[in-house]
This record gives sequence, C-alpha cells and structure tokens, in this order.
Amino acid sequence: MYMARAQAGDRDAYRRLLEDVTPYLRSIAARHFRNSGDIEDTVQEVLLTVHAVRHTYDPARPFGPWLVAIANRRVVDALRRQGRSRAREVALEAGHETFAAPQANLAEAASDGRVLRDAVEQLPSGQRDAIRMLKLQEMSLKEAAAVSGMTVAALKVAAHRALKTLRKVLGTQNRKA
Amino acid sequence: MITTPDLIESLVANAAPVRRLRPPVARAVGWLLFAALILTLLAVSHDVRPDLALRLRQPEFVTGIAASLATGVLAAIASFLLSTPDRSRAWLLLPVPALFVWVSTIGYGCLINWVSLQPGSLPLGDEAGCFALLVLTGVPLSLAMLIMLRHAALLAPTRVAISGGLAVAAVTATALSIFHEHDASAIILIWNFGIAVLLVALGGAFGRRMFSWAAPH
Repeated sequence: MYMARAQAGDRDAYRRLLEDVTPYLRSIAARHFRNSGDIEDTVQEVLLTVHAVRHTYDPARPFGPWLVAIANRRVVDALRRQGRSRAREVALEAGHETFAAPQANLAEAASDGRVLRDAVEQLPSGQRDAIRMLKLQEMSLKEAAAVSGMTVAALKVAAHRALKTLRKVLGTQNRKA
Repeated sequence: MITTPDLIESLVANAAPVRRLRPPVARAVGWLLFAALILTLLAVSHDVRPDLALRLRQPEFVTGIAASLATGVLAAIASFLLSTPDRSRAWLLLPVPALFVWVSTIGYGCLINWVSLQPGSLPLGDEAGCFALLVLTGVPLSLAMLIMLRHAALLAPTRVAISGGLAVAAVTATALSIFHEHDASAIILIWNFGIAVLLVALGGAFGRRMFSWAAPH
C-alpha cells in the first residue's frame, strides 16, 4: 500500500496517497463546516498531522480507520477552536462597522439627505438659489437679496414655490417608495 | 494561506523515510522493563522494608501489591495502545478492574486499621524518605513515558496522559509498598491513592501541554 511505501521514503507514492485522500478528507470536513475556508483549513491540518505521525501507521492494519481517526481529531479541534472564538469574538460584518464621524453611522439620514439634495438640484435655477441661500446657508432675506440681485419679494416667492415643488417631488417619491 | 496542492508538494518534499513504531504492546513492555530496572536499582541502594518477608505472607498485602502492579502494567499497555490513532478509546478501561481491586484493598485495610490509628502514632519522620522515593521512581518513569509517547501530542494527549499518569502512579505505589514501612493504612491511602489521583489529575489537566512540549517541532 502507498502509506507503507511512503514510510520508506517513496515520494511518488506519498504524493499519490495525499492527493487521493484529500477529496475524502474534504468530504469529512464538509460534514462539520460550511465555510469553504474552514473546510480547507481542516483538510490541511489533517494532512500536516498525517505527515507528523506517519511513523505510527502499522501496515499490518487497515489504513482507512487510521486516517479517519486522525481526521476526526482535527475536526474536533477545529470545532472547539471555532466554539471558543465564537464565545469570545464577534465577526465584523458590514452592519457592525462604525466610524468616529457621526454621519457615517447614520446611513438612513445620509440617504435622505441625498434625496433632498437631488430634489433641490432639479429645481428651476431661481427657486434653487433662493432655497440654498435662505434655508441651507441661512442668510437673511436682505443678505440674499444683496448677493443675488433679486428683490426681497421675489426671493420670498421663489423660496415659497421651491418648498412647494420640493414637497410635491419628495411626496411623490415617498409614495412611490 | 498556502493552497492544499502546494502543501502536499511541500510535505512530499519533506518525506524522509521514517522508522515505524513497534507494536504498542512491545513498547509498553519496554517501558515496564525500564520501570523494573528502576525498582531493581532502588532495591540495591535502598533496603527493602524489614518486615517484607512477614508481610508477603499476609494475603491482604499480597493482593494489594499485586493489584497495584497489575494496574501499572495494564495502564502502561493502555497508554501505548491509546497513543496510536486507530485503536479504540475503550482501551482506557483496561486497567479499571485492577484499579478497582487495588483501591478496594486500600479501603479495606483502612477500614480494619482505622481504629488502631491514634494521634501521635503517625511516623512523621519518614515523610522525607517517602517523598524522595516517590520522586526517584515517579520522575524518570514519567519522563520516559512522555518521550516514548510524544507523538500522542497530535492525537489524544489527554486520554494518554490520564492512563500514563495512572501507570506511573501504580508502579510508584508498588515501590512504596515494597520499600516503605507503613503500618497505618491511612498513610498508605494518602500516599498511594493521593499520588495516583494527583498524577492522573495532572495528566488530565496538563497532558496536552506536556505532550506538546515533548513533541518534535
């Protein structure tokens, strides 16, 4: 059998043996792990153990149980390790990510803001400027009039119309959503 | 992370010929011969207890010593069997009948002699000699076992350490009964059984670590 020849130092036999048992080991590991990374890690651990204890194989006895016993050991070790790390650690997923800046943690608010900005962007230019200056930049009517060259009355009307349009646009969007 | 085919290639590249382990029972016999050698050396340097001939005529004593010796032998065989990957873990139970007899003889002696034990009759001066004897037998036997079974680090360290600890403890207890004179069974109980429990517990608790220390890196 290959293992007996591998013990004697026959590298080709050893390579064939390891390649032959790998899919089988993978199927054993797949019974216990779902993550393909975990499965492959376990397979590699088993291969390393087989290598380290290859002198304990007795050619007079069947190879299968010897291999399966080693594989089960490593599977149990991996499960224990997984249990320990699950008990103490939490895998970091996108939902858990957080940053120091407060706006990064307010995903909903950020997307609402974008909708509003887009809506403001689509207003006619007079209404857009009025809204930006009066509401977003918090200028007074007089300052806004001085900057834009529009009259105070015209600004008031533009701002009023802009709010009305926005209300309509955002309202329809909400209903669509 | 290395891929599995690469790992196989690197293992193949390191596949120097290995010497197969002898059958577990043969290796256990080797360890027991070593234990016998240590006991012989102790018998040469240390005198056996003066009343040994007398005690050997008492069935209680003979049963106890035979049971502890049998526990040692069976536990050693069990350790070597358990250290191979493919033997059943039920071998751990091999020394249990002998252990049961051994513990019963200690318990029985204790029950009979407990009444005769009086305060002040405890031979406290002996304790140092007793302890020295314990270390002289226990340490070399434990080290030999640890080195002979170092490959178990990767397989079943705790199981092997428990039965190995029992083997060492039982052989040590046999040595104590041969070399050390204790009339009070309570002391025998404390020394023999206490040491057995201690070694087995140490094996169970630290076996994994001890074996990975002795294992080839």
